[in-house]
Amino acid sequence: MPDTQVRQTVEVGYGGNERLMMNMGPQHPSSHGVFRMILTLEGETVVGVDAVIGYLHRCHEKLGETLTYVQYPSIASKTDYVAAMTSELAYVSAVEKVAKIDVPRRAQYLRVVAAELQRIASHCLWLGTWCLDMGGALGGGATVFLYCIREREMVLDRLEELTGARLLYGFHQVGGTRYDIPAGWDVKVRETVDFIERRIDEYEAMLGDNAFFLARTQGVGVISRELAQAVGVSGPLIRGSGVNYDVRRAEPYSSYGDFDFVVPVETAGDCYARYRVRMVEFRQSIRIVRQALEGLPEGPISSRPGVKSVGQVRVPKGEGYARVEGARGEVGCYLVSDGGPKPYRMKWRGASFSNLAVLPHIVPGHKVADVVAIMGSVDPVFGEVDR
Amino acid sequence: MAITLRNLFRRPVTVRYPDVQRAYPDRFRGILALTYDPETGEENCIGCRLCEYICPPQVIKVEMLKAEKRNYAKTFTLELYSCEFCELCVQVCPTDAIIMLKSFDLATADRRDLLLDKDRLHALGLQFEPSWATGNRLRDMQAPPKPARAEAKVEAKGETKEPAE
Amino acid sequence: MTLPPVAQHALEAFVVLNAVILMVTYVTLLERKFAARMQSRIGPYYVGRPHGWLQPIADALKLMIKEDIVPAAADRGVYNLAPVVFLVPCMLIFATIPFAPALGVADLGIGVLFFLAVSSLEIVGLFMGGWGSNNKYALLSAMRAVNQIISYDLPFVFAALVPVVLAGSLQMSVIVAAQQGLWFAFYPVIGQLAFLAYLVATLAAENRVPFDILEAESELVAGFRVEYSGMKFALIQLGEYAHMLGTSFLGALLFLGGWLGPGPAWLGPLWFLGKALLVFLVVTWVRWSFVRIRVDQILAISWKLLLPATLVLLLATGLVVATRGAGGV
Repeated sequence: MPDTQVRQTVEVGYGGNERLMMNMGPQHPSSHGVFRMILTLEGETVVGVDAVIGYLHRCHEKLGETLTYVQYPSIASKTDYVAAMTSELAYVSAVEKVAKIDVPRRAQYLRVVAAELQRIASHCLWLGTWCLDMGGALGGGATVFLYCIREREMVLDRLEELTGARLLYGFHQVGGTRYDIPAGWDVKVRETVDFIERRIDEYEAMLGDNAFFLARTQGVGVISRELAQAVGVSGPLIRGSGVNYDVRRAEPYSSYGDFDFVVPVETAGDCYARYRVRMVEFRQSIRIVRQALEGLPEGPISSRPGVKSVGQVRVPKGEGYARVEGARGEVGCYLVSDGGPKPYRMKWRGASFSNLAVLPHIVPGHKVADVVAIMGSVDPVFGEVDR
Repeated sequence: MAITLRNLFRRPVTVRYPDVQRAYPDRFRGILALTYDPETGEENCIGCRLCEYICPPQVIKVEMLKAEKRNYAKTFTLELYSCEFCELCVQVCPTDAIIMLKSFDLATADRRDLLLDKDRLHALGLQFEPSWATGNRLRDMQAPPKPARAEAKVEAKGETKEPAE
Repeated sequence: MTLPPVAQHALEAFVVLNAVILMVTYVTLLERKFAARMQSRIGPYYVGRPHGWLQPIADALKLMIKEDIVPAAADRGVYNLAPVVFLVPCMLIFATIPFAPALGVADLGIGVLFFLAVSSLEIVGLFMGGWGSNNKYALLSAMRAVNQIISYDLPFVFAALVPVVLAGSLQMSVIVAAQQGLWFAFYPVIGQLAFLAYLVATLAAENRVPFDILEAESELVAGFRVEYSGMKFALIQLGEYAHMLGTSFLGALLFLGGWLGPGPAWLGPLWFLGKALLVFLVVTWVRWSFVRIRVDQILAISWKLLLPATLVLLLATGLVVATRGAGGV
């Protein structure tokens, strides 16, 4: 994008030529977090977007330098707080890669179960909030939202039985996981995913044939294949635009190679295509959870002793990058170590940060109402964007 | 539309808190507390400060008091308003002194109520039901089995698994 | 008792007005409980347990004691007058609704015409609110609202005229009497289609999802009402729900046979109330089931689909009546 377009003066007012500059400000019901968009409107059509981020910056990368490898995993969950398991997994995988620590197979399977359950929960939230944005807080959107939250609560209950926490788990540690499954948990998880599978059928029935829903999402926010690859989006955005790229297949981590699942790809590139991709991902996650629980090997859940002191994990000098397929795309962590108990430098690649970069390309030309539909289908979480 | 009609006749899933409480799972990470040894009645905390060092937001402050047989904690303050409830302090405690409880009912209008001192922490420990997790149990769960201790480990796991059922 | 006619009418009007306001406040509770059950939750239950009976009273009291904030840059006269101009037509429409053959404030000979004409005056109040607030969001929403309501008032009127043509009179009691044999909602083809068109047009004229682009809670929070607080907001809410209830009553009168129903004559008003609430619940059910559509799609539906359809329907009704012979059923 040429510089002149990006460096606009941030003024709110009438821009002449009957153009209205409207601020969809940080406090907005459908900005999915704290995100400021300065829209230039001509009537109802958006002709320019100026995105302002940074409202949720909490210095994660600096915290990564001051906290040790033992302390940071529970903080890592706060980047993508909606899909916390995959965020922690990115950090812990990076440490294990640099220190060349093996993770026992049981821990790998447990990590997979946790990550896929988390993906189901995150997609429930995505669907609910997207329909809420499109349908109104008082209206059909709220209905879908409450159904999705009802299902998400069930998954969160399972994760609560596993770790004790509902949103920010602290489940991973360097070398494995912190918690093993309680008795009877796998039965409950199986019941939960069966139940959710039936409910997903209901959602698809409620939305898939709904003429209003289709009118709002088809043809809206089209990301072409070239644009997707040029900007560097990942996750459901790039799979909705025809590129078959999933980190779980491209670079299998945590024994994902053992599982049989389909990576959904749609070619249309509009909001509806991304919706279809995520709905298929729901079902595939359920499939993976079932396979993982069935094949859960016996063994230790960590290859290192339980945490007893704060400087317990020392990583030799080196650097490495580990990435995982988060619910929103590729989440990565680049770690530089100097041999001590803390990293020398840690950099997060947030999936939503790269995904948001596509907005100035696809929003102009649409109406104001489409902006919310597009934001919802891009599904950013600002913990990842601002870190 | 048929879906909403069908849901009209399903039971609502609301839990009428605070009239009705839901059942918390065994491992619930609630508010923190200090414990007494059930046999001798003494405080478990030896003031070793491991929890203070590991806490990511550094909310724990401990002063050690040396005595003949064992050490104690002279003061133990925990700033619950900044606590992340990550359970790392519970994990590292060598004497299972600090634990988490199955409750989070401590909402207050004054932040100073959440600056817990040692007496308050002990009182909380007696007031609410403790969670399953203690330092030794968590470390046993995580440690890879050494060949010599494999059997003892299985026993310990068997014991500690029962309360979770 | 022998009161002079003016005092008698004033008393009737007073009673009806209060009854309407009470009904409107409790209809909000009905909507909230109904919507809640459809969403697997309970809705208001705490205030006035176990069913939240006192919730509307609590809401009304809360709004009355709230601070009345007027934006500094607002156009005072227009801003302050807007809720009143919005509310008055919405209340006035109840004057023409008869609850039973002789029970009503004024059973005008041109009842339906009066209703339709007065109910579309609320747009003026709406636009005044959006303009007077001096707020870009409010203005945007008010412009959308004028667009939408004007576009949908036409199909609304035409759909409402179908029973008028079938019954041969604009007077509401005559229309109800003409439904003795068969309610107009079940009248083959033209009645059923007209009822459907009436419901759709009601949704749009009331700014209900899927046509609530006016308020679009998640885009332009609360639309033209965004700058109103306290009692003025209460008046606007009252007006909206009163209009909603008024069109439900009209629907029940025109299409569902008003007070006709099995049983003694004094049961009539209860049947009428029940039918109006049924229309209201159907509209609410639709509202809580669908996402909204964009404003250009809304206008496209109105001008390209609904208006031609209702025009054709009206012509067809005229043909049917002419071939059947002049007069009622």
